[in-house]
This record gives sequence, C-alpha cells and structure tokens, in this order.
Amino acid sequence: MQMRGWTAAVMAGLIIVAGSGCKKRAPKGGLAGMDNVGGVVGSDLYGEGLSDRFAAGQEMRGQFAPVYFDYDSSQIKDSERSKLDAVASHLQGAASGNLIVEGNCDERGSNEYNLALGERRALAVRAYLVGLGIDGARIQTKSLGEEQPVAMGHEEDSWSQNRRGEFVVVQ
Amino acid sequence: MKRWIWFLAVVGMGWGMRPAQAQVVVTKGAGQKTGLDMSAFRASPAPAAALFRKTLQDDLVRSGWFSITAAGRGEIVLNGECEESGGSLNAAVRVLHATTGQSYLGKKYPASAGEARRLAHRAADDIIQAVTGWRGMASGRLVLVGNRSRAKELYLCDADGANLVQLTQDRSISLAPRWSPDARTIVYTSYLKRFPDVYSIDVASGSRRIVANFPGLNTGGALSPASREMALVLSRQGNPEIYVKNMAGGQLTRLTTSPQAAEASPCWSPDGNRIVYVSDQPGTPQLYTISRSGGRPQRLTSRGLENVAPDWGANGWIAFASKVGGRYQICIMNPDTQEIRQLTADGADYEDPSWAPDGRHIACARTAGYRSAIYLVDTMGDPPLPLLNTSGDWFSPSWAP
Repeated sequence: MQMRGWTAAVMAGLIIVAGSGCKKRAPKGGLAGMDNVGGVVGSDLYGEGLSDRFAAGQEMRGQFAPVYFDYDSSQIKDSERSKLDAVASHLQGAASGNLIVEGNCDERGSNEYNLALGERRALAVRAYLVGLGIDGARIQTKSLGEEQPVAMGHEEDSWSQNRRGEFVVVQ
Repeated sequence: MKRWIWFLAVVGMGWGMRPAQAQVVVTKGAGQKTGLDMSAFRASPAPAAALFRKTLQDDLVRSGWFSITAAGRGEIVLNGECEESGGSLNAAVRVLHATTGQSYLGKKYPASAGEARRLAHRAADDIIQAVTGWRGMASGRLVLVGNRSRAKELYLCDADGANLVQLTQDRSISLAPRWSPDARTIVYTSYLKRFPDVYSIDVASGSRRIVANFPGLNTGGALSPASREMALVLSRQGNPEIYVKNMAGGQLTRLTTSPQAAEASPCWSPDGNRIVYVSDQPGTPQLYTISRSGGRPQRLTSRGLENVAPDWGANGWIAFASKVGGRYQICIMNPDTQEIRQLTADGADYEDPSWAPDGRHIACARTAGYRSAIYLVDTMGDPPLPLLNTSGDWFSPSWAP
C-alpha cells in the first residue's frame, strides 16, 4: 500500500514533468531526483483527484506544528519536512482517523487569489503526505486564504507566521 | 455656443464604448464639468420633498458630469418642483439649455413619500442620460462584504452608500460576491458548511442554494452574460483551476491546466466569449484570458509585480488591481490594444474594482491605516470619493448590472 502510493506519486510527477517541459518553473529548493515528490520541488499537483469529503467527527487541533511557506509560494521548504514526517508517522500508526490540512496566507494580495494560493499550500502538504504513503482519501484540504491569521501585525514577523499549513486530526 | 460632443471626447481617449448618440449634447471635454443651475427648482419644506432635492443634487454632482452653479451662471438649467401631500410625492423636472432654451427633459415623477430617494435617483439618471448621452449610476445597487458583526457577511447598499442592509446571516465567512446578469441573485463563497463552497442567494427572498461543494476549494462563481454557464475555481482534480459549469445540465468543463499554478477570479467578457482570470504561472499573479471553450490562455499583463482581481466592464475595458511601488492601485486595460491606465496613486491600497453601470466609475475597496472602506474611482480624472465609510471594514464591492 505504502509502496503503491509512493510509486504512483512519483510516476504522476514524472508524467507531468515530461508533458510540460518548457512550462516548468525552475525549482527554488535544492532538491533533485527521487525527492521530486508532489509539493516539494516542481509543486506539480494533480497526482490524483480529491476524494469526497469525509463525515465530520471529533476534531483535534494543535497536535502538530504548522508548516510555513514563503511569500506567494506553495513549495514545501526543507525546514518543514520533518514536521510532515511526524504527521505521516502518526497517520501510519493510526488505523483510523483522518486529517484536514488548512492552507493559510498572509494579508497581502487579493482575497480571491489568496484562497487559491492557500488551497495550493494545503494540496502541497497533502501531496507530500501521499508521497510518504498515506492514503489520499484520509486527507482533506481546506483553504482559508487570508481569513484566519494567527498573528495580527502588519509586518513580516506576523506575515511569516500566517503563511502556514495547519493540521486538524479528525476521529 | 459650444457644442462639443461627449462621445467624441471619449472616443478620442481610446474608449471602446459610445454612449447612446441620439441626444448627446453640451460639454467641453472629459474631466471638465457642465455648470448646472438648480436655483429655480422649488422643493416644498416637507421632509420628503427636501430629501428629493438634496438626493437629486448629490447624485448629479457624484455623476462627475456637473457642477452646481449660482443662479444665472449655469449652462444647463434644471427647474420644476417637488411637493409632498397626503403621503405622496410629486416631482416635475425640466432640464433645458440656458441660452438656446433647447429642452432635454420634461418629466413627472409621482411616488409615495417614502420613495423620495429612489425617485431622485431615477430623475438624476434620466437627466444624465438626456444631457450627456451616458447611462447614470444613481439608481445602481452594490453588494459588499462587511465584517462589523465580526463574521464576514454580505451587505447591500445604494449607489450613494445609503440603505445599507445585511443580506446574509451566515455567521461564517462570506466572500467574492457577484451579481447574476438579471440582478436577482448573488453568487458568493461561504464557509457555512465549514469548507469553502459556492452558493447563490435570492436577493428578494434571501433563500439560498448551493452551487458547488466539491472536495477542496469551490470559489469564484460568476455567471456568464447569458446566465447559461458559470465560471468557477475548483480544486477537485487536485489543483485550483478555472472551470465552466453548464447551468442547465450541470456538466463541468475544465478550462485551464496548470499543475504548477493557482488560478483565481474568473470574470466574463461582455460578449461572453472569453474569461479573464488570475494565474500565478509566471511566479507572481498576473491576468490571463481564455476562450469560454478552453484552448490556449493569453497572458495580458506583465507590468507591475502583481495584477489581480479583474472586472471586465460592459465598455470593453478590464479594471484590475496592480501592485505598483508596494501598493495596490486601480488600473484599467483595453485588452485589444493592451493600453493600460492607472487611476489611483495615493498612499492607500485600492483593491477589488467593480465597474459601475455608468461605465465611467469604478467601486473598489480602499485600505488606509488598516481600515477598509468602499470608494468610487473616476476614469475621467475626478479624485476618489468615499461611497461607504461607516464603522467596520468593507471589501469586495460588486455593482448590480
């Protein structure tokens, strides 16, 4: 199961990269080769369609540290990968339970663009977790755009805290 | 006698739209105003009559075409009267040229006293149409997003900011409102069921139905000019892309394929053949257009760090917010010639433009000192004016068609 998820993600990545050669943006990170999992380097999403929304359940927030993003970017940074590894091993260890990944942006930029950017951040996190073998049907994405900042300031200190992916564990 | 013609001035500026030509008269040039002498218009001291007169005068000034002059100084004379009796209001309005005596308008406006404002807006639009050939905006209505209840809800107000009413009571986050072409419903994004879904709300009854609630993001709902299709931003296939939904059969067509980019803010061209939208394919959000049936997108903007929130006006020009020197400013672009004009330039951020029905003004959100209010921006050079600046923050205005 794990192998299949991983292989599928890498295959999908390779197919997309092969099919869109000239459109590809230069990766900003320094990763290469097998690290080209969805969400990490090229940020090619589309590995698979999203599964139907799962039923609401008891939600736990704050169990995992948020992952942070650069301005206008949905790329998973090197510094954030260990946080995602922790989320993945939790999900692997729990037979049941689902995850909502919430994508958030800082206050700059248009409201509607930030909704799309926040969704890409959540999808990048989802793609990374799927790449680690988590069943995509257990993960839902939810963009909050710039609507739910955690830091209320109007400078980079606050902005960098607001550009984040948060994890809600659903039992 | 000066008899410059509005549409000559306007076409000379490169505008695609011409006002109705029949009665087009009197003026000097874009940005200059025609003197209007209202001193002979008699309003009885009754409150409704006085309100009619004040509203009419404010509307005519706000239209941008007129300045109110002292008696005997105006090029155009507005006379007539307004009286209230037994709960009904009767206004008679006559508009003529001061020297030639040419008549532009003679009309009676009966209504109940409670409708003084609405009546004045109608009279103002009739006067503007008769004298300039341009459609007015005084009878227009807007939907806005406001946060004064702490949740973000939809509100409605008139073109002068009056009659502010709350439309939604979702106690959630309501975003991105856009009118249907028949002005009966508003399509918007809400977190009512915890995820961002697209709803349509009937303005008269307040009844609401869900339009799109796929897994992931559902937003950006915008009906085509013929209302047969709705453009949407959906991420159901794994990435936010522009889709078109057939409103009769419900079929979805994905227009964009950009696995490395986010798409947002679709808006239809006036003829319904193209859609302008935002994509960050180049690394920063920029404007693109694409045919309603898909195909190769065309990049529209390259100037400025970010170009977002497009609104394609009936006059053919696209209004958008452009990040210039660290601030968002309102610009308009002719997509055929690529000509761009920047309309704002002060120290505030101007975002989310929406063309007014007069084809001359643009409503937008202006943020200064971390407070947002709705402002009216003029494409012919008048300074921005507050349209709605009451307590709370106000965003995302959209004019009813």
